[in-house]
Amino acid sequence: MGSLKPVDEATTQEGFLATRVDELINWGRKNSLWPMPLGLSCCGIELMAMIGPKFDLARFGAEAARFSPRQCDLMVVAGTLTWKMAEAARVIYDQMPDPKWVIAMGVCSSSGGMYDSYSVVQGVDMILPVDVYVPGCPPRPDAVIDAIIKLQRKIEREQPLKARLSGANLDHGIGSKAFVRAPNHSVPTRGSHAVLPPGELAP
Amino acid sequence: MSAPSANALDRVQSGLAALNPKSIAARDGMPAFEIEAEQVREACRLLRDACGFETNTFVTAIDHFPAEPRFELFWQFLSVQHNDRVRLSARVTGAHPHVASIGDLYPGTQYSERECYDMFGVVFDGHTSHAGGLKRLLMPEGYDHFPLRKDFPHQGIEPDKLYNAWFQRRFERHEREHADV
Ligand code: SF4
Repeated sequence: MGSLKPVDEATTQEGFLATRVDELINWGRKNSLWPMPLGLSCCGIELMAMIGPKFDLARFGAEAARFSPRQCDLMVVAGTLTWKMAEAARVIYDQMPDPKWVIAMGVCSSSGGMYDSYSVVQGVDMILPVDVYVPGCPPRPDAVIDAIIKLQRKIEREQPLKARLSGANLDHGIGSKAFVRAPNHSVPTRGSHAVLPPGELAP
Repeated sequence: MSAPSANALDRVQSGLAALNPKSIAARDGMPAFEIEAEQVREACRLLRDACGFETNTFVTAIDHFPAEPRFELFWQFLSVQHNDRVRLSARVTGAHPHVASIGDLYPGTQYSERECYDMFGVVFDGHTSHAGGLKRLLMPEGYDHFPLRKDFPHQGIEPDKLYNAWFQRRFERHEREHADV
């Protein structure tokens, strides 16, 4: 059968071996995602339902939640991230071994949600490179399962062996492209709601 | 058994007689007294030793901005042996209020005092839960504002500050860890 198919361009450029090995690696990675449940508030409850028997995340190979970042490759930020927690969240992310992915579950972690407030990070993409955003407050477990399927589609398109052979920068640290916003980028606000008496502290 | 509230009222009135507290008709029916801010430590000591209130349940404040005196501070006490409660209040003026800590009389107030400082900026003199004195409880260290004050906009006074502080700390850690590479 293979001999009847025309050799496509990608195969001729990258070599048969690299594409096949990439496919094998990706198949392994996408079907054994180990989530790090960063359950910060109410979305965490929905995350537990998703992992539990009713929604059964095991069907997609991602039910082995580990509470140690060293054993995980998928961080699910489920809940409201405050600035005080931001440091810990990033440290946990840094402790996870490569390759790693992030799902922002719920509007709180995607954009700050209803907490248009001084203490809440207005979207975890300020401090983490997010792969999939899940809207909803909280999103239903099916929506998060959909996000995991989308992430699997994304992993399928990665080229780990090629990246390794070409010596690309795999560091997801502060210098890499994965760090999505530049320093001194201002915090997005949704218009001013400041109620200040005249002459008092300017916002 | 007489009504618990009347009971507490009598005990506090006789126990604090020397301080001449002003009795307040609280809407929730709890016995409430207003005292001078300088007498807080003495009043709390008497409540503990003479009136049988073993536990402090909270310390908090109300910001009456822009009225003066600006802050009204509250201490609420529970007597387990008599099954009743009492509330003390005191008023302090200005944007940088000070009041004496009662953390040594009622060790349970140390978190409440830290929270009250964190949210309202009320400084509790003589606070001892940390070697360095009073510390913030909920907001990150290095934050300069007090979020529950009436003149605090809810998006924060410097919305970028926490982000830039976070980034700076992270950058410094990165530099430290990669110094020898
Ligand atoms: S998105 Fe809604 S359910 Fe999820 S953490 Fe935020 S407030 Fe809670």
